[in-house]
Amino acid sequence: MRAMLDLLRLTVDRAAGRCAYAEARHVHHRAESLAVHDELVDAVDAEESEGLGIRVLVGGAWGFAATRDVSAAGAEAALVRALAVAEAQPAAGARPLAPVTPQTGHWDGPCDLDPFALSLEERLEHLFAAVAGMGGDARIARAQASATMTRTRKALATSDGTAVTQAFTTCGAGIEATAVGDGELQTRTYPCSHGGTVAGAGWEHVLGLDLARHAPRVAAEAIELLTAPECPDGLRTIVLHGEQLALQLHESVAHALELDRMLLGEASYAGTSWVTPEDLAGGALRYGSDRLNVSADATLAGGLGSFGWDDEGVAAARTMLVADGVLRAALSDRQSAAAIGLERSGGCSRADGFARQPIVRMTNVSVEPGDAGSLEDLIADTDDGLYLESNRSWSIDDRRWQFQFATEVAREIRGGQLGKLYRNPSYAGITPRFWGSLDAVCGPEAWALHGLTNCGKGEPGQIMAVSHGTAPARFRDVQVGVA
Amino acid sequence: MTTARQSPAELAARALAFLDGDGQATVTRERSLMLRYARTAPTQATEIDDTSVHLLAVRNGHVGAATTNVVDDDALRATARRATDAAAAAARAAGGPGDHPGLPQPPTGGYPTHDGWDSATAEADPAPGGAALREVFAVAHEAGLEAFGTWTAGGVETALASTAGVVAVDRVSDAYLKVVCRDARGRTGWDCQAAVGAEALDAGAGARRAAAKVWPEEPAELPPGEYPVVLDADAVGALLEMLGWLAFNGLAHAEGRGALDGRLGTSVAAPAIDLRDEPGHARTWPRAFDLEGVPKRALPLIAGGIAEHVCHDTRSAARAGDGAVSTGHALAPGGDPHGVAPTNLVLAPGDAADVDALVAPIERGIYVTRLWYVNVVHPKQTLLTGTTRDGTFLIEDGRISRPLRDVRFTDSVLRLLAHTEALGATARLVSEAEYYGRRFAVGSVCPALRAQGFRVTG
Repeated sequence: MRAMLDLLRLTVDRAAGRCAYAEARHVHHRAESLAVHDELVDAVDAEESEGLGIRVLVGGAWGFAATRDVSAAGAEAALVRALAVAEAQPAAGARPLAPVTPQTGHWDGPCDLDPFALSLEERLEHLFAAVAGMGGDARIARAQASATMTRTRKALATSDGTAVTQAFTTCGAGIEATAVGDGELQTRTYPCSHGGTVAGAGWEHVLGLDLARHAPRVAAEAIELLTAPECPDGLRTIVLHGEQLALQLHESVAHALELDRMLLGEASYAGTSWVTPEDLAGGALRYGSDRLNVSADATLAGGLGSFGWDDEGVAAARTMLVADGVLRAALSDRQSAAAIGLERSGGCSRADGFARQPIVRMTNVSVEPGDAGSLEDLIADTDDGLYLESNRSWSIDDRRWQFQFATEVAREIRGGQLGKLYRNPSYAGITPRFWGSLDAVCGPEAWALHGLTNCGKGEPGQIMAVSHGTAPARFRDVQVGVA
Repeated sequence: MTTARQSPAELAARALAFLDGDGQATVTRERSLMLRYARTAPTQATEIDDTSVHLLAVRNGHVGAATTNVVDDDALRATARRATDAAAAAARAAGGPGDHPGLPQPPTGGYPTHDGWDSATAEADPAPGGAALREVFAVAHEAGLEAFGTWTAGGVETALASTAGVVAVDRVSDAYLKVVCRDARGRTGWDCQAAVGAEALDAGAGARRAAAKVWPEEPAELPPGEYPVVLDADAVGALLEMLGWLAFNGLAHAEGRGALDGRLGTSVAAPAIDLRDEPGHARTWPRAFDLEGVPKRALPLIAGGIAEHVCHDTRSAARAGDGAVSTGHALAPGGDPHGVAPTNLVLAPGDAADVDALVAPIERGIYVTRLWYVNVVHPKQTLLTGTTRDGTFLIEDGRISRPLRDVRFTDSVLRLLAHTEALGATARLVSEAEYYGRRFAVGSVCPALRAQGFRVTG
């Protein structure tokens, strides 16, 4: 990585005098994905990529060029192309960047058990053991398990003098049972839907999920849902499992607080935000009830949004976005921060691989734990409501104002006890009203990080991984059953 | 060994030589440029030049795959070893034969040809893009609006070589322009153009169409309920793309999970609905073969409202049995674990002259130009939810009368197609041109349509 960092430094040095700012990034990425279903292996895919991304600022216009040629000649050619792309665009006026203190050093993410050092058979057998626990009933049309693991090494040099290297490892897994019968189809998953949960960790994270132990329950609930009653409509008290709350937070808080969206930079694709930059300055926007405290923390151990420095060389930081329900800060990069006069970037500039330029992305955005104890305590404290678990569907408008979510399962809460199972639950709301109805958040003992790996944004599209820390939480008077 | 400037076909042949046993080498080379703009100024610009080599190994019905973008001999040898080791490990872990039926044989009739390659577009020259942005900005300035959007052009070359004897090369270029115009109060209008060649994009015309959808009137609001709707082509395309996965995925169908389970040969849509996957259509981004090297051909999916076929790759066809064969829809070498989907949907046009003609019979309803964040609520029911965006209008007394605040819908695509009353006479290629991962231009050719009972839920 040292030799590569030297090449990146040389490249940004060569850009001097040809642009207002330059950065050069090298990314080496390795990934494996494993999938099995029933008694068959669906996929054993390995992927390795390496390349350079060069970004320059000329006349207020950005140019970015990506190449897999990591030689000095390749870097120079990419620099020339990036400059040409920037110069071909209409002049954009000044684009100041928030100042940054030049950074040097190396950062390693946690990894106790190197997933790439384990045999494929060992990892596949782990998945087969889980799938075996979901079999045995003809109504299960598909029982599957999957695991992913990645290792990314990055080096960055900027014309501001930053020169850093980083290495990340991620691992995750999940199981899914799909039952069909009488024209109905129902799916249950563990530990969460959409492929399982991923963490900034080694294979120890997968072992800790204990997939095989949960497999029989997952299959049984999928079958039970086939004949379960439809979830009743109405204004209800709901308790969200931490995983569903993580996605709710992701969509209706974290994205809404991306400063580039507030500044209309994503208006044609990802969308804008109901929150304005003026709301940040005023310090008076109530985002939710006083139970709502939200942080953005790139220093959390095990988070997918954790790093030493973001992709503009800004050091990882923890920032309170919402305190006691009131908006305090946004997620920003150097350009968006400068655009509203902030003294420094929020350190949220991230790129998907070497072939995409950095944009504003969330780090680990979390709901801070509350004082409602464990999930069992919260259920016991709820007289009449629904407990919703495992996301099935999500949709929110382009201002992050109105949303609709569906979960795999709902359970009745009656007199502080969990009761019958309901199928096809959904709920909808308006962002500040919904968070305003938050009246209890479980405590640290129920708080956990939930890793999402499918956050899409940017053009060309960028997929980003991020973790959200949440504990189960209760909301009052939520519209249930809109779908 | 020479590595620089090898053609994708040469690289595929060289990579295949490193595989021990049955397998396939797939090379994709992307050259692309995307320019973004917001508030009538350029914001981001991404130029990509990348080549990846995917190696598939097949052992006793089990597959292993490995991909790299480092193409020297050492890297290719290591990648081949990873693929082979993966297939062998899969075979050992499963303890029995896998479900891959074997690599497809070369087609006896060769591959279809198409006109999907424009060399100038594939060069990804930034100058035409810069000129397009200037033209859009000029129109926006003139209209007193701000412009937001994307211009992109690129080309992808795909080469396959397999130990079964398949040797195939395809080249597809694509160009796309999206314009969103916005006024000071935040009201927006949208237009997009998609084509094989960048010369077909008319930036000024696109900007004018987008600007024309920004109306000065205060938007009306509609309460939840069921309304007659006119969906413009872009909105229709968004729904068809989701339907492609939910209804025509042969793997899900074979496992009883598909929306057409037990419904093939029955009426699932209005008689006016003719939906095909047509990779050779004049206005689509055409394809010569799928990622197993099976030739592309037209496949009727819904004909006269009757569900006709689902799509297959070789693996899903084997799973389905009963004489099913690949229809040329493999989305990955060796088959995608999620199954298959059509990538060149074509909805046959009708006889309504234009949107105004579709709107004319509606006393009170909605005209939708674009949908957003469409997601599946219930797959077997093709039940989706999403919102409208960048141009939603109230229809009153047979005409588009005023802007409408965006609405959420929760409705079944098949139900909408079953209640479709009329289709526009003109079909165009629509796409969101999202390009996550390796560029793969995909869109639907479709007209606007009018349907009854569009379910607004918020």
